[in-house]
Amino acid sequence: MASVAFLLGLAVTAGFTLTSLALYDHNENHLLRLRARQVGSVLTAAVPSIQSTLASAAELADATGGNAQKFRQFMAPYAGPGRQFASASLWPLQASKLAPTVVVGTAPVLASLPAQARSLFAHAEHTRLLNTAGILGSAHPSVGFEFSTPDVKHGFAVYVENPLPKDRHSALAGNSAFSDLNYVLYLGRSRNPKNLLVTSLHRFPIKGRRASDVVPFGDSAFTLVVTPRGPLGGTFFASLPWIIVIVGVLISLAAALMTDRLARRRQHAEQLTGVLDRVAAENHQLYTEQRGIAQTLQHALLPDTLPDFKGLQVSARYVPAASGIDVGGDWYDVVAIDDRRVLLVIGDVSGHGLHAATTMALLRHATLAYAAEERDPATVLTKLSDFVNSGAHDYFATMLCALIDTDAHRLTIASAGHMAPLLIDGDDGRYPEIDANVPIGVERSSDYQETTVSVAPNATLVAFTDGLVERRGEVLDTGLDRLRDAATGQRLALDDLVAMVTRDVASEAHQDDTAIVVIKWET
Amino acid sequence: MGDLEEDHAAEIVIDTRIDAAGIPIVSVSGELDSSNAASLEATVASIAAGHTERLVFDFSGLQFMDSAGIAVLVGVAAKVKAVQLREPSQAVRRVIELTGLSGVLPIEP
Repeated sequence: MASVAFLLGLAVTAGFTLTSLALYDHNENHLLRLRARQVGSVLTAAVPSIQSTLASAAELADATGGNAQKFRQFMAPYAGPGRQFASASLWPLQASKLAPTVVVGTAPVLASLPAQARSLFAHAEHTRLLNTAGILGSAHPSVGFEFSTPDVKHGFAVYVENPLPKDRHSALAGNSAFSDLNYVLYLGRSRNPKNLLVTSLHRFPIKGRRASDVVPFGDSAFTLVVTPRGPLGGTFFASLPWIIVIVGVLISLAAALMTDRLARRRQHAEQLTGVLDRVAAENHQLYTEQRGIAQTLQHALLPDTLPDFKGLQVSARYVPAASGIDVGGDWYDVVAIDDRRVLLVIGDVSGHGLHAATTMALLRHATLAYAAEERDPATVLTKLSDFVNSGAHDYFATMLCALIDTDAHRLTIASAGHMAPLLIDGDDGRYPEIDANVPIGVERSSDYQETTVSVAPNATLVAFTDGLVERRGEVLDTGLDRLRDAATGQRLALDDLVAMVTRDVASEAHQDDTAIVVIKWET
Repeated sequence: MGDLEEDHAAEIVIDTRIDAAGIPIVSVSGELDSSNAASLEATVASIAAGHTERLVFDFSGLQFMDSAGIAVLVGVAAKVKAVQLREPSQAVRRVIELTGLSGVLPIEP
């Protein structure tokens, strides 16, 4: 990841740098072309002044018949050491021998080159232009210009000459407007080294950026080539690509480091998440296992199938809480005391989980043990209460003990904080009035009371734990009424009645576990 | 984790104070059930340790209580001589009555 970020950063940097370089290059070229044109225009501006000086001198000579004194007088400000021209001379054109009659300043080199002089003047006779003599001489080369008024009988030509600087090299003055340039000036339209007039450079050819301009000059021209001595657009723009490169590389490095750090953090977070997920999975497994153990225990403790009792139909069901923290401690038992009596026990240990399930097991077996000795439900509960309260404990249980006399159609009920069962007689359903008494495990030496009620033929008894009737946001009586209304007047088989009640009466959420036992007198 | 996440704790607010007579008053509002009974138990245990004579639960804001809540009250009643319930709703009152705990957890007049 980090190297990708770095490479990406470098690629972006390279892009910016190349763009910046291209822009810089384009800008510099443009500026240089402008400068070349500026230099060219300065040269162009020089032409008329030279031509007009020479033309005036030529006219004067024509008019005065080549008066030497007049010519000297006229040319004095222009020719001589330190003046515009090193040498100025007057040449009669129709003379038998071609030679200057008057010379101001140094002797012209042209005078020693008769063939070139003839060629120059022969050509010049027919033009109205300043004529270029070219570069003359080899030891101390000079450049010369000529002007003569055409078609004048016995006319005169004015010729000026300037030696080229030593090695044809001349640096521009530091305060010159063109001090930021190097230049090469050729005579003519080609860049032939033979035609080199002057340059500020020591080496040829020019390498790198350059621009040229051709400046017409009389019958010939100057070819100007310029090259920048430094960046024309300023040093900032010249260094900009480098600045971009350096900054870009630094940013790329920073991005790479940051990416690396983020990647490490992410890796760390992922590892942590992995650990947390594993812990959660383990927790879930433990929870499931514990719930599974408790559920297994609970189911193992509840009677699988109830025995057949003479004269009675019995159906029971245990419904664990749908989600809940753990299984609860609900239980029930139906045991025969003798051939006409049956003891029904239903209870609910407070709390959930393994602890509740084991407590329920303890209470269940203790209850059955006391029931074997005692016939009265109230006595069973009192003995059980004494037994439980003899030791330290942190639970309590609601319990209902009901002794059913099948033949006598009689029911004796004792409750330890447990809700009374529903008694259905045909279309009439009621909860018999009983003493609630305290739950088992709350008070030492409680005295439990029992209530005996007569039961109509074919009556149905519905005993249950609070999970069946308890709902959030309502009084328990509402749940009790709901159960009574649902169960009363049904003509269902007992198992179907149990199924219907657990389905329709209990809260849909099944927040608490529920036990239900239904007993019907067959006669 | 599905099963664990489904056990959302019910809303409960517990507020404790000592009244002018020095009797601790524990106000419980919301719904008291197995998801939050432990927090009430922890709060009350520390108070009960220092006040073994009398403790009052103000249930005027309590809308629902299941057997887990009853268990907490029964536990307190085992340590404190007089535990009283103040202004329980009809629903809470009926749970107390039907569980046979009216004597152990008397409702204040």
